[in-house]
This record gives sequence, C-alpha cells and structure tokens, in this order.
Amino acid sequence: MNTLAVIAQREYVQRVTSKGFIIGTLVGPIVMIAIIVVPVLFLVAFQDQSSKTIAVIDESGALYEELEFPIDFDLVASEAPVDTLRSHVLGGKINGYLILPETLLRGEGGAAFYSGGGGGFILSTQVQQAVNRAVRQRRVLMTGADKTVLDILHHDVGVDMIKISDEGDQADSAAALAGIGYGMGFVIYVCMFIYGAFVMRGVIEEKTNRIAELMASSARPFDLMLGKVLGIGAMGLTQFLTWCILGMTIMAFGGTVAALFVDPNDYGLGQVDNQQALLDAAGITIPQLPFSAFVLFVLFFVGGYLLYASLFAAVGSAVDQESDAQQFVLPIAAPIIIPMLLISHVIENPDSSISLWLSMVPFFSPILMTVRIAATSVPFWQTVLSLLLLGGAFLGSIWISSRIYRVGILMYGKKPSFADIARWIRQG
Amino acid sequence: MLNVSNVTKRYADKVAVDSVSFGVQKGRIFGLLGPNGAGKTSTIRMIAFITTPDEGEIRLDDRPVGSWSQQTMGYLPEERGLYRKMKVGDQLQYLARLKGLSAAEATAAVRHWLDRFDASDWYDKKVEELSKGMQQKVQFIATVAHEPTLLIFDEPFSGLDPINADLLRDVILELKEAGRTILFASHRMEQVEQLCDDICLISDGRSLVQGSLREVKSAYGRNVLRMEYDGTPNFLDRMQGSGKISVISRTEHRAELRLLDGTLSRSILQQAMDELDAIYRFELVEPSLNEIFISVVSTTGQGSKQPQGSRTGSAA
Repeated sequence: MNTLAVIAQREYVQRVTSKGFIIGTLVGPIVMIAIIVVPVLFLVAFQDQSSKTIAVIDESGALYEELEFPIDFDLVASEAPVDTLRSHVLGGKINGYLILPETLLRGEGGAAFYSGGGGGFILSTQVQQAVNRAVRQRRVLMTGADKTVLDILHHDVGVDMIKISDEGDQADSAAALAGIGYGMGFVIYVCMFIYGAFVMRGVIEEKTNRIAELMASSARPFDLMLGKVLGIGAMGLTQFLTWCILGMTIMAFGGTVAALFVDPNDYGLGQVDNQQALLDAAGITIPQLPFSAFVLFVLFFVGGYLLYASLFAAVGSAVDQESDAQQFVLPIAAPIIIPMLLISHVIENPDSSISLWLSMVPFFSPILMTVRIAATSVPFWQTVLSLLLLGGAFLGSIWISSRIYRVGILMYGKKPSFADIARWIRQG
Repeated sequence: MLNVSNVTKRYADKVAVDSVSFGVQKGRIFGLLGPNGAGKTSTIRMIAFITTPDEGEIRLDDRPVGSWSQQTMGYLPEERGLYRKMKVGDQLQYLARLKGLSAAEATAAVRHWLDRFDASDWYDKKVEELSKGMQQKVQFIATVAHEPTLLIFDEPFSGLDPINADLLRDVILELKEAGRTILFASHRMEQVEQLCDDICLISDGRSLVQGSLREVKSAYGRNVLRMEYDGTPNFLDRMQGSGKISVISRTEHRAELRLLDGTLSRSILQQAMDELDAIYRFELVEPSLNEIFISVVSTTGQGSKQPQGSRTGSAA
C-alpha cells in the first residue's frame, strides 16, 4: 500500500471511529430539523388567538351583509358617532372601524379603515379584500345579473406549469426546485467550512503535537497534505451520504407523511388507497430531482471540498494555533461567502448570462452550479466545462498549498506574514 | 555509506550550513557536534530529506537521498512528538507502515519492540495516558521499529531521565553491534564522547575538525597535564608568565594545564619535584572534545584545521 493511501486511511479510520463523529452524524440531522421545526412550533404555540373587533359604519345600507371576514374577526354594525368610535379604538375596546360611503355603490369614492395601527400588513390586506369583494358583489347584483355571473366573477383559474424536457413532460415545480437548489447550495456552503476547518485543525494539531517533523522524515509533504485532505474528505462523504440516505428515506415516505394531513373527504374522493391520487387532488406534488442531478451534486461537493480543503491545509501549516489562523482564513472564506450573496439572483434567473459565467468560476461553481442544476436544465457542456475548471483550480491550489505546507509545518514561533508565505511559494 | 559533499543551506537572512562535507561509514557511530545554532539540525534535516540543500549533494549508498532513503532511515527529531489521542500500538504500526512495512510486518515489529522495553501492555493505551518517560520509549520505538540501516538522533539525550538515557545508550550500542550506522547530533559533547567512533565539529554552519575520535584527539596530542600535590607551585606562575603553559583550572591541591609549543612535561616534573612537598598525581591526558572545540574556535576563528572545500566569503 503506498504512503498516500496509508495516510488517508489513518485519517479516515481515526475519525470515523471516534465518538464525536458517530454522535455528530446521528445528531446532526436532528439538530437541523429542530432548527426548522422549533420556530414554526413556536409561532403556532404563541399565535394571536384573540379575535379582532371591527365596527362598520355602513352608509350605503347594503354592503354590511356582503362583508366576509375570516372567522377571527367580529364585525359590529354601528351607527355611533365617529368620535365615540375613535375613543373606543384608542381605549382598546375595538380594533378599528370601517366607513363604507354610499358612493361606493355607484363606483365612486373609497372606503376608509381607521385603526390604532399595528395591525400589520395582513390586516390591511384582509380588510381591502373583504371590502372589494363586497362592493363588487353588490354592484353586480344591482345590475340584475343572475347568480351565474357572480360565479364567473369569483372563479379562479389555475394554470398548470409543465416543464418540457427530453425525459418527457412533467409538472414544473420551479419554486420547489429552486428551494431544493438553495438547500443544496447551503449544504455545500456549510460543509466547505466544517470540513475545511477539520483539515486545518488536523494540520495545526500535528504542529502542536510536534509530530510534523517526524512525519516529514517519513513521507513527502505533498502526500501528507493530500492524504489528510482525502481522508477527511472520505469522512465527510461518509457523513454526507449517511445524511442523504436519511433524507431520501424521508423524501420517499414524504408522500405518506403529507397524506396524513390531507383528509380525502375534502376532495370528494372518499376513502382511497392511492396516495398519489390523493395528493394530486390536493394539488401537492413532492418534487423529484433526476438522479443525474444528485450525481452532479456529489461531484461538485467533492470538487469544492478538495479545492477549499487544500487551502485550509496550507493555512493550518502556516500557524501554530487556531487563534492565529483568522487573518489567513479570511481570503479563503470570502470566495465561499460571495456565492451565497449571489445565490438569490441565480435562483431567480438561472439561465441569465451572469448566472452562467458565475457558475463557471471555480471558487463559486460548487454552490452556484448546483443551484442552477436544481433550478433549470443546464446544458451538458456547461456542466462539464464547469467541472473541468474546478478540477484545474484544485490542481493549482494543491500545488501552491503543498509549497506553503512543506515550509510551514516546520516553522514554529513567529507568525508569518502574507509576504513570508508568498516567498515560501516562490522558493518551494 | 552516507556522503555529504559541499552542502550549503541558506534561510531568508542567514547561511545555516556553509559548504559542509563529511562521510559516515557503515556500522560506525558518527557524532555531529557543535553548539546550539551551529547548523546541526539543518544538516540532519537535509540528510533525512525533510529539506533539500541549496548547493551540494547528499548520497546514501551512492544514490542521492530522496523518498526512497527515508524508508531506510530512522529519525529521532530534537522536538519529540506523537499523536496524543492515538493508541500506542496503532500509532507505532502506522509510523512503521509509512516506512514501507506491510501491516503484518509492522504489527510484529511493534510487538517485538514493546516487549523489548517491557511495555507490551501499552499497546491499547492512548499516548496522552502515558508518563513522559514512557512517551520517550514509544518515541525510540518509532525510530527503530522499521529496522532502518541508518539511524539519526538529534540531541538524543536531551530531556531524558537517567534511566531512559542509559536505556537509549544500551540500545544504540546494541544497534551498532547489529551493524547499523548511527548519526548523532549533539551539543553535549562530554555526553556522547564515549559513544562516537567518528566526529565532525561544526560551528556557524562550517565544519571545523573531523575524523575518527582517535585521530582528532591524537592530532591535539597528550598536552594536558593533571597534577595533585601538597605545597606551593610558584613555578606554575613563572611558566605561565613566560608563555610555556596555560592553566585550565587550579585549586589548592590540584591543577590542570595545557602545555604550549613544545614544552616538555619532564621540565615541569623537574621543577615540581624541586618546589613541592609531595606529588600524588602527575598525568598527561588527552584533551576532552569540549577543550578541542574551544581551542579550535578560539585559535582559528576563521577557517578550520582541515579546510573543507572552497569558501565563499561569508561572515564567520
């Protein structure tokens, strides 16, 4: 077995068999889910249950009975003077009052809603919708039109989004896929930092344990560094694939779970065995990514990891302790953070030329190309070119990093400057 | 077996090793001796192929050193260190495998050496659970387990407790018996003097004196005189005043002196018998390496007794 394999094997076995790894792998997803679920539960638990009381001064005499508000609204027809209502609002007895002038029935003027403020955007939208609907309904009825006209007026037409691709037509769940793309980009972003930091800490540990010189007398610095990067990468991939399998299991049973919350009777289907039919009727589609997208995701994940991990290894070799690493981590962290700032543009315009070229830049492609692959159908040549550029950047970065590493691991004491590091690279 | 020829290593602001040459013969113990900062570790790192020389060449068995030679060398760095969280057995096995042993060979070698050091029950212990002395033993095993033909020890006795120091001395002699070649670097000359067959004294990156310990010592002659006596040796003051001797140390009943420029010990004995009440000891001894080193550095300052190759004008 060659030296590189022996080194990578030690890194992998030591880490995968550690308690921290096993706990992290199993607890990680639970923590992730908790981060998403807890705020939702929190909102539900503390939802504002009190109903809102709104006084309505209906000067038209015909609109009040047409008003339809959600059930947590109490409407009270009122003929009290405005000043009284005003003091009720200020005194907190009612949430607000609505004035519907008679002119509304002639299509002139506007209504006014007075409140103590603080009702928020939702409240004003609800009031606006209810008034509009009531006025429209009343005016149509006043023309003597029959009820079918009203039905036509209130009928919403759904537009199905169908995506045409070589594999056949399928429902285009662009929004959901963009969400998945964002999620995958975010996973890569987080993993670059987590696993990159593992590599950096591993190198610093060898320096603080003073074993670096012994290692350098047994293997080439290039093998030491690449072995560490590969071993930790294999650990990351193990962890990542474990999570993917867990995630896909959840996806596979996701339909079943969603079906639990849908009552078949609501859709006039009666008791059905077929979940798919049920979900279709409810308009719920669990979006499915093609398998090729998953493969590309893993490839970009691995490529991005290799690129950044070799740079993190170089940083680790240049310093004696983690707290000294900050200034050198910044130039590496910036190209990881930049794509996160650009990600919303890419999600909204996955086919724009800016998105295209950004997803070719090696430092950005692991995140941005993954997002594009999820959000749109990326031409094959673009994926291949992006991967080749990423691979080329990795070779360049590992060449530079190994030159820093071979000098850095034997340096103790003085914290090097950027100029020192540049000299190490030149001298090799 | 090992040939270092005209090797120079420069760091950013100084010349660490300046055109040093020496050879180490198979089956012998070679001492690379000099004060701290003389360039010993820099030289050794180049031999171990951790760094490469800017000029000159290092050959092992007539091949330039490289990754191949790392596998036939065992190196004990001055900075000792191990993976603290790793088990002793796993760690030693890993280090041996890096030196080219198969997993099975490595396991067998590690078991053998742990037995040799009465440490079989450490196999499953983590390094951080061991005492410092125990860690030192583990470190020796890491140096020798893969049966290297050339062993390199940088300041081997520094930081060792007396028991481990003796143990290491025994192991080194045992390895020499077994035909291994050993290279030392040390600034504690008196500590390694008895072990070395050949030496090279270096200072400020330059080789000053080298050869077999016998040759070097005889080149400096038996010119140190030790005396023990009763009485008042006024003649010592006279002779020192006239530049015939220099006094190395002197107490009430004891004196150690160096004979200068052809002064005969007989003439001193003559005067001693005339002036002293009693003489208990009168012995001509070889100078210690330390004394040789000091006299070389002080008398030559520039250059050396046996010039090594060409010098390009750098500050001494």
